Amino acid sequence: MIALGIVIIFKSTKVFNLAQGHIMMVAVLLGATTSHKFGIIGGMIITIAVMACIALLLERLTLRPLIGQPLVAAFLMTIALSYLLEGGALMVWGEGLYNYPQLFPSEAIMISTIAIEQETLWAFVAVAVIFTAFVLFYRKVLLGKAMRATAEDHRISQSMGIRVTHIFSISWVIAAILAYVASLFLGSISGGHYLNSQLGLKAFPAVLVGGLDSITGAIMGGFIVGLLESFVTGYLSGEMGNVVPFIVLLIVILIKPYGLFGLVRIERI
Amino acid sequence: MARPAGIFDVCYDQDIAIVRTVPQWITLGIFLIFLLLLPQLFPNRYLLNIINTIMIMTISVHGLNILTGFAGQISAGHAAFMGVGAYACASFMTFGGINYWVCIPLSGLTAGLVGILFGLPSLRLKGFYLIMATIAAQFIITAFFLHYKPEIFEGARGMSIKPVQLGNIIFNTQENLYYLIMPIAVIMTCFAQNLVRSRMGRAFVAIRDNDLAAEIMGINLFGYKLRAFFIGCFYAGIAGSLYTAFLRVVRPDQFTLMDSIWLLGIIIIGGMGSILGGILGVIFVRLLDEFVLWLTPSLSTILPADYASRISAAMGLVVFGLVVVLFLILEPRGLAHRWEILKERFRHWPFTYG
Repeated sequence: MIALGIVIIFKSTKVFNLAQGHIMMVAVLLGATTSHKFGIIGGMIITIAVMACIALLLERLTLRPLIGQPLVAAFLMTIALSYLLEGGALMVWGEGLYNYPQLFPSEAIMISTIAIEQETLWAFVAVAVIFTAFVLFYRKVLLGKAMRATAEDHRISQSMGIRVTHIFSISWVIAAILAYVASLFLGSISGGHYLNSQLGLKAFPAVLVGGLDSITGAIMGGFIVGLLESFVTGYLSGEMGNVVPFIVLLIVILIKPYGLFGLVRIERI
Repeated sequence: MARPAGIFDVCYDQDIAIVRTVPQWITLGIFLIFLLLLPQLFPNRYLLNIINTIMIMTISVHGLNILTGFAGQISAGHAAFMGVGAYACASFMTFGGINYWVCIPLSGLTAGLVGILFGLPSLRLKGFYLIMATIAAQFIITAFFLHYKPEIFEGARGMSIKPVQLGNIIFNTQENLYYLIMPIAVIMTCFAQNLVRSRMGRAFVAIRDNDLAAEIMGINLFGYKLRAFFIGCFYAGIAGSLYTAFLRVVRPDQFTLMDSIWLLGIIIIGGMGSILGGILGVIFVRLLDEFVLWLTPSLSTILPADYASRISAAMGLVVFGLVVVLFLILEPRGLAHRWEILKERFRHWPFTYG
């Protein structure tokens, strides 16, 4: 899900958002605290609104001035943002663990002999729904088409009457909302804590294995990396589980630099 | 380069000289003497500790600056290459029984070779993919030291070494360490400054600005990219080996992704593609660190206790993030550019333009 957010931002703005994990962390913490105060539904609405505002602000204040700057600048900006978000979250929420309200029934569902947690099942459903929604959105809706055009070429889409800057903002907001959806599952599995941001790191191999500009790739990459990691953790050792995704990443980008599902750009390097 | 009126270059040697005029030579001499006498002038262990770390980081930052600022190959795994140098130095000393002075260049070479290994993807990768490859290098290298052969690298406990000796001088005080680190830092800075003006340095800049055009101009892209990786990581290795002598213990958690990002932040703050910028950046960030350390206790007296503890934990992160954001927006060319502007102003004062 984080991977999806990164892909959506990258697709339209060509900025690789390293702060996506941190945005999700903020969403978890915010969701946890607001839902205690205003009830589950109220908390959801408030969190989504606040997340969208944060995303808008981040895009407008920090990344807009960098259009036209070299790539390092944007890269470092997202990292600096992630530090800011992490530090800010530490300041506001401290180091405590925040309990998330129970969203899903806790008893596992038995399918013959395999026990599946309900959260996991719901996460699968959510990924499927979001995936189809995005495919439809990009194919059918005018805004989605505009976003695809922007992804193709900023200058031409600008001259065709698409407001590229708006598209940038919209992609950031969508990514923030996706981060919120991801945070729902994360929150109900493990609660809100400022170290949640580390999960963002795991999304990068997923994104790159799948291909930076492909939604299918993001989801498949997520599955591949997640499965590999749990296999390695299960059969070899826990420490190796953190490294294997990166080794796989290195091999994949050496062989197919644009990822397994990425759009191959003809470009001499 | 601007010169005072009436000073002309009459031969090629003068034209390419870095130090051009007599006053410049004098200031350089005074500066070097100042560096030499610094421990005597300020016999303060804490201050010397700061200066030593500044100089070690400067060497490392020069490497990253050559690799990222000049050759344009962004590396987000530079701290890991420092780690390679540090571990190489420690293991050569412990298991090879090699003299520390031989270990310094050897660990530089080792780090350089590992750098070439991870620089290989740079032939096919560009931009974010290369960043990810270097982040992957970062994780793979630290995990290697953490888990591979605990009997050699001692896992999370790290390797420790005896203090470095030269004759009967033992480098265990900050003052002695200063005299170990300072000359190497000066030599490496001088070498970096000259390297970036050489054929190779100009080739790096050409690759950074437009790799296609550079290749058409007859620059062997792959060769020069690998050379950039080698030199950058060589610097990191030297810095790593000095770090070993400085701390006398090498642990994997000294070289995390966070540290790599700090190094990148330093060259942004100092100014990419400027050797002076690297030095300024390190000093600035280090002073900022000290400032935050100094500020936090005084904040805790003003604010309520539970809030203050949160602030102190987050302060470093927020300040660093904020400074990098501000520099990126307001002065993307870094402190070095500011310094140039200041010099111009001074030269033309009281006029606005020269």
